[in-house]
Amino acid sequence: MDERPISPALKILACAMFIFLLAPLIVVVPISFSGDSYMMFPPSSWSTKWYPAIFADGKMVSAFWTSLLLAFVVTVLSLLIGLPAAYALVRLKPRGAEFLSSLFTAPLLLPTIVLGLAILIVFSGYGLLATFQGLVAAHLVVTLPYAIRVLSTALATLPIPVEEAAATLGASPLTVFRRVTLPMMRSGIVGTTALCFLVSFDEVVLSLFMTGPRISTLPVAMYHRVEQQADPLVAALSVLLVVLTLVVVLVVDRTSGLAKTFVK
Amino acid sequence: MTSRTDAPEGFLSIRSLTKRYGDFVAVDNLDLEVPKGELVAFLGPSGCGKTTSLRMIAGLVPATSGRIVVGGGDLTEVATHRRDMGLVFQSYALFPHMSVARNVAFGLEMRKVDKGEIAKRVKEAIALVHLTGKEEHRPAQLSGGQQQRVALARALVIRPSILLLDEPLSNLDAKLRDEMRNEIRDIQKRLGITAIFVTHDQVEALTMCDKVVVMNQGRLEQLGTPVELYETPKTAFVASFVGRSNRLTAVARNGAAEFAGQRIAAPAGLEGPVQVMIRPHRLGLSPASPAAADPARQQVTGTVARAIFAGDILQYDVDVGGQIVSVELATRGGESVIEPGRPVTLSWRPQDIFIYGAAA
Amino acid sequence: MSAVAPAAAMPAPLPAAERSSGLPLVVLLLLPIALVNAFGFLAPVFNLLRMSFYESQATGAMVEVYTFATWASVLRDSFYAELILNSILVSLGITLMTLVCSYPIALYLHRSSGTWRTILLVLVISPLLTSAVVRTYGWVAILSENGLVNNALGAIGIAPLKLMFNKTGVVIGLTEILMPYMILALLAGFGRLDPRVEEAASTLGAPPWKVFRHIVVPLTMPGIALGSLLCFVLAVSSFITPKLLGGGRVFLLATEIYDQAIVTLNWPLAATLSILVLVIFGGALVLYTRALRAIM
Ligand SMILES: Nc1ncnc2c1ncn2[C@@H]1O[C@H](COP(=O)(O)OP(=O)(O)OP(=O)(O)O)[C@@H](O)[C@H]1O
Ligand SMILES: [Mg+2]
Repeated sequence: MDERPISPALKILACAMFIFLLAPLIVVVPISFSGDSYMMFPPSSWSTKWYPAIFADGKMVSAFWTSLLLAFVVTVLSLLIGLPAAYALVRLKPRGAEFLSSLFTAPLLLPTIVLGLAILIVFSGYGLLATFQGLVAAHLVVTLPYAIRVLSTALATLPIPVEEAAATLGASPLTVFRRVTLPMMRSGIVGTTALCFLVSFDEVVLSLFMTGPRISTLPVAMYHRVEQQADPLVAALSVLLVVLTLVVVLVVDRTSGLAKTFVK
Repeated sequence: MTSRTDAPEGFLSIRSLTKRYGDFVAVDNLDLEVPKGELVAFLGPSGCGKTTSLRMIAGLVPATSGRIVVGGGDLTEVATHRRDMGLVFQSYALFPHMSVARNVAFGLEMRKVDKGEIAKRVKEAIALVHLTGKEEHRPAQLSGGQQQRVALARALVIRPSILLLDEPLSNLDAKLRDEMRNEIRDIQKRLGITAIFVTHDQVEALTMCDKVVVMNQGRLEQLGTPVELYETPKTAFVASFVGRSNRLTAVARNGAAEFAGQRIAAPAGLEGPVQVMIRPHRLGLSPASPAAADPARQQVTGTVARAIFAGDILQYDVDVGGQIVSVELATRGGESVIEPGRPVTLSWRPQDIFIYGAAA
Repeated sequence: MSAVAPAAAMPAPLPAAERSSGLPLVVLLLLPIALVNAFGFLAPVFNLLRMSFYESQATGAMVEVYTFATWASVLRDSFYAELILNSILVSLGITLMTLVCSYPIALYLHRSSGTWRTILLVLVISPLLTSAVVRTYGWVAILSENGLVNNALGAIGIAPLKLMFNKTGVVIGLTEILMPYMILALLAGFGRLDPRVEEAASTLGAPPWKVFRHIVVPLTMPGIALGSLLCFVLAVSSFITPKLLGGGRVFLLATEIYDQAIVTLNWPLAATLSILVLVIFGGALVLYTRALRAIM
């Protein structure tokens, strides 16, 4: 590629901005090994005590399991609901398909603070507040638009003749979908899975409206913890979460190319 | 020539097949009988409805009206996957996530053929298209010609009642295209498969196929053997689309058209302006005022407008009464090129000239 | 809030059998998502509109009578006028900061290539995939009394700065949080930036900064507009960072909505403020389309 040479001024500026962008993620690593009992940077002594402390904290552990189960259930449901819907919208093209697509992705346009309040008010009437089912339903509202969007794009870019070829070879519509369409959508499905999982696992605003003393998710528990006492335990937990995110990102990158998923 | 109505009922029988997209008629009342074991070409310009016809036969597009009957059974309402037809797509449409062997095996798996039999037939099919050794390759690891052959093997291995090929050679280079042409023809003959071959390349249609259907704007223009099409084109469209023709105008009166002073017998019923077609290489050319005219040949005089030496042939554009007539002469070596502006005589055998009503 | 994915370009032909049973199948496939959409989105949003016309009582109970009381009090009370203005100004400031900080990164990314570019791109995207709570916590570590900045200042004998529990902290934190969105939006808009055009300007005698001012900036204007819209909208509605870095001392629309909904339990008021947020969104969108038309 014949790119323009990058001027030193731009290099320095970009480098400085990168440091700014990554500073909060970098800084939690040393803090997580702090020996102090409250947060201070740089720490006055070092230890690894905060990592085991996470697992000793019953609230955090149960919130973690809730988040993990929640993200899992939400991801599975997003695929189960999103895949048929994307297929219907892209392939069967009912009248008003475009309108329906916009409607189904519209929740993304609403700020989560507004959506959270709206859902809080309605769900309180159904007794869904501070329940696992309520959390699942609320998260689905925001993960499904992502699922629809990624899966629709994946479907729309599939070559239709390949499916037709399968039909001429004797595959029934269901078999075509199972043996040809689905495998060819693999990268779209992996992308959707990762995206829904991370969105649900990291979701905090909606969850704040939906949780209570009885049930909490990890980001909510962390939020309350930071609000009260920003101690190094949160840093240790953050490091674990960043590692978890990295693992997910690497898996996606292996199968579908992360850059492609985010930058068209 | 036999008339269409007493043609024997074919193995594949297409009756009044029509496809409309809104007001647009993509395929207009297509009637066709294909006997068992024949290779029939659908030939026509881009957009004339070849692919649409093929897709209707395969059941990928529902017909607006008309029937498709194979071996006596009406398939018009039958879903694609129950039609038992092998379709080779122009784009190959291989399954990108499966190996060559899995691609070829797919149709057999759908037919619940048992494992041992599948392995045997896949091996045979792959050998048939000269791809032995490439079984475990993915389509992306194959060249265009190899992918093409996988597509062919995949369609053949199910022993379809009818093989449909949609411009399967158009993505290949000239050399590979020649090879594949022969290969497809050989395989089709050897296995005795009834096949339809869609193309817009007349050479492909004439050299490979038993019969050719010439289509234009959704309609069947003529059905015949390559020789029939070339020697007795029924319409001006066929005359100009199959091979090349000079397309001249003349006026017909009392059963004869007059062209540059030469009277040419015209089909009964033609009056007024007509089109006169003659192929450039069926014309003879000699320097002006022939002393002894061949009584079996008709002739006119004109002036050379342009002479082009193209190696194998010598092409003259001759001005005959204001119309340009192209003449192609095979070069033998040693002939002298006639200069532009010189008078010449053009001659032809009466059976080489065709007269049609004026174009609408 | 990124651009909606392009719809399928080609009409999708289907086997005849499937088409004939098309309608019920479509309905069946779309039913689950329609249910989620209706109960999790349409009904709640509609209900929110209605709620803003309910009457709230001191006990926190609501009366289902339609009244403009909440709206009247919000529109009349100078506290809310200030809150709205404050939110808009802070968000505009954050947007500007984000743009200034993101532009060099985006330009650098646009001009780099290969593996290096991929690595940098992953670095840009990774924060996006990390919880806002984690990143805000990182900022607490940097900005707090005992944090990185103040300890560094202390080491060279400078009095500590108050960087947290005020607008400064909120602006710094949110700027960083929103940078990935801005960078991606800018990158998407940089497609029109052809290196040859810049070279042409240089050969015509323009010094680098003039090339930047007269060629690069105008050509990247659509990306700037899109990124700014995105960041403004996200800033107005963000809540976690203002809450944690503002420590309850920075009053913004989003934090007020949460407090009214969860602490005070004045749902009609929270609903009314939510709708105001949506109105601000609408205004930003109108400005954006106007700006885009002016640029193009
Ligand atoms: N789904 C459709 N909707 C509307 N018109 C269509 C559709 N499919 C095909 N057509 C039209 O029908 C006509 C015939 O198309 P078809 O694909 O059969 O042409 P073709 O003979 O195969 O041409 P080519 O040689 O270019 O492949 C074209 O004019 C095309 O525009
Ligand atoms: Mg075609």
